[in-house]
Amino acid sequence: MFFIPGIVITVLTFPGVIVHEAGHLFFCRVFGLQVYNVCFFQFKNPAGYVIHESSDDFTAQFFVSMGPFISNTLLCVLFCTAAFLPVWELKIVDPLAYFFYWLGISIGMHAFPSTTDLKHLWQRAPALAKKGNLLAVLSLPLAGLLVVLNYARVVWADLGYGILVGVLGPIAIFKAFVR
Amino acid sequence: MRQVDCSRCKASFPLRSTLSLNGQTYCETCAATIAHESKQEGQAAVFTRNIDGSLCGLCGKENPSGSDFPFRKKLPFCEKCGPLVERWPYPLWLKLSLAGLVLLLAASLLHGRTYFHAGNEMYRGEKLVRQARYAEAVLHLKEAVRIAPGSDKAVLLLAKAALKIGDMQTAAIALQGHDEGHFENGQDQGVQEMKALWDRATAAAQKANQAGKLAQEGGKDVEAAKLFREAAAEYPESKQMTAAIPYFDEGAAFERKDYDRFLALAQEVFANKPDATNAATIASAWACKYAVSGNAQFKDEAEDSLLQAQRMAQSDAEEVKALEEYLPRIRHRIESREIITKQEYDKRFRKNEKEKK
Repeated sequence: MFFIPGIVITVLTFPGVIVHEAGHLFFCRVFGLQVYNVCFFQFKNPAGYVIHESSDDFTAQFFVSMGPFISNTLLCVLFCTAAFLPVWELKIVDPLAYFFYWLGISIGMHAFPSTTDLKHLWQRAPALAKKGNLLAVLSLPLAGLLVVLNYARVVWADLGYGILVGVLGPIAIFKAFVR
Repeated sequence: MRQVDCSRCKASFPLRSTLSLNGQTYCETCAATIAHESKQEGQAAVFTRNIDGSLCGLCGKENPSGSDFPFRKKLPFCEKCGPLVERWPYPLWLKLSLAGLVLLLAASLLHGRTYFHAGNEMYRGEKLVRQARYAEAVLHLKEAVRIAPGSDKAVLLLAKAALKIGDMQTAAIALQGHDEGHFENGQDQGVQEMKALWDRATAAAQKANQAGKLAQEGGKDVEAAKLFREAAAEYPESKQMTAAIPYFDEGAAFERKDYDRFLALAQEVFANKPDATNAATIASAWACKYAVSGNAQFKDEAEDSLLQAQRMAQSDAEEVKALEEYLPRIRHRIESREIITKQEYDKRFRKNEKEKK
């Protein structure tokens, strides 16, 4: 193992932080939640944040908390798909492709919601799941897994996730669409 | 800014810094003390933060009129902050960055059309290789390798597919164009599989070449046929090698003086590939049978086959040239009823021609 200060990683992958916070803001706007402050990027911890009102609506809470996980993952797949073939399969040196791959991985590795976001879901989901709320049922294992992965960031789980999504996503797309 | 007295310590505090519990107002210090006491008694004290409606909940600005700002949900906001919290705007730089990225992505997708084409061809080829449809796979993989000769995967698949249909030339070109056949991970299963296939094919090709040389030497046709059969058995994927076996067997039958077998093989080869040279080989076999038996019917058959060969060669310059060499030997056999090898014929009748040349 080798240690690289978190801020260095954050700076190197800053587009992911911006996209993550933009994802929170987007879902706050979609669900009409009041937003009190937004920081898309800063050179300290946390690297970005969105301060918004809490909601009694679990759907809103779910999407505001998990939205960046969904949007960052999708964007990671999209950007990596544009670059996957020349970088991984065809071994063609194309700077634009490498740029997109960096962008995709950067976005993918900042997909995990913060522990605070997950805590809120984790607190409300069990009661709602018992009542048959499907989103709550879905959020339980997902939030559980993401909590574990959040802790595993010390062993680069976030980077691993970005690479995994950036490789497996395009492969799945290409395999599915090969005529 | 509105002031309010703490119900416990009676001191005056700004309203927004106080908390409420059961209709009573407390300052933060007293609230903390009450919370501690309640906890010791096993009860929970749940305070709510008091809101000063004359102060904006976001910027803290005081309403000059002293009255409350309009409440939006639970908090009062000034006319500037109200719309902001309801619909926080995306900053211009974020919108421009997003637009730039979308443009860049579109440019990249446009620029990457060739890659998508190559990738599509490669994946199609891979699928066909998995289905053991190697001949079809080669067509797609050739296109992928044309665009990406550095791709380990495409080159490996092409080399494998080509070798599986006996196309060593395509495999060799693909491998040579790929860093002289060097792969990033030489221990990879795919590389090892292709290498084993390549080694087997090249060993068989060497043996086949050796057999060809023996056949040309003369008097070694039996040995040549045996060696060639071994080569073809080692690399059964090569249809060319398998198809060439009867030609070597013809030579071996001739050498063993088994002219019935020689004729049967010549007729079999002609049935599969009816051309002038193969027709001439039938004439050669009939001529052998005539030479050893003196049966005029065999002679007639030989003559008929010679005529057929000449007719078939008319449209093909190469065949005409081949017959120019072959026919005089067959004629000599018919006329003299003497069976001699090409080498012996050349020695006797073509020595002068060579000297002239």
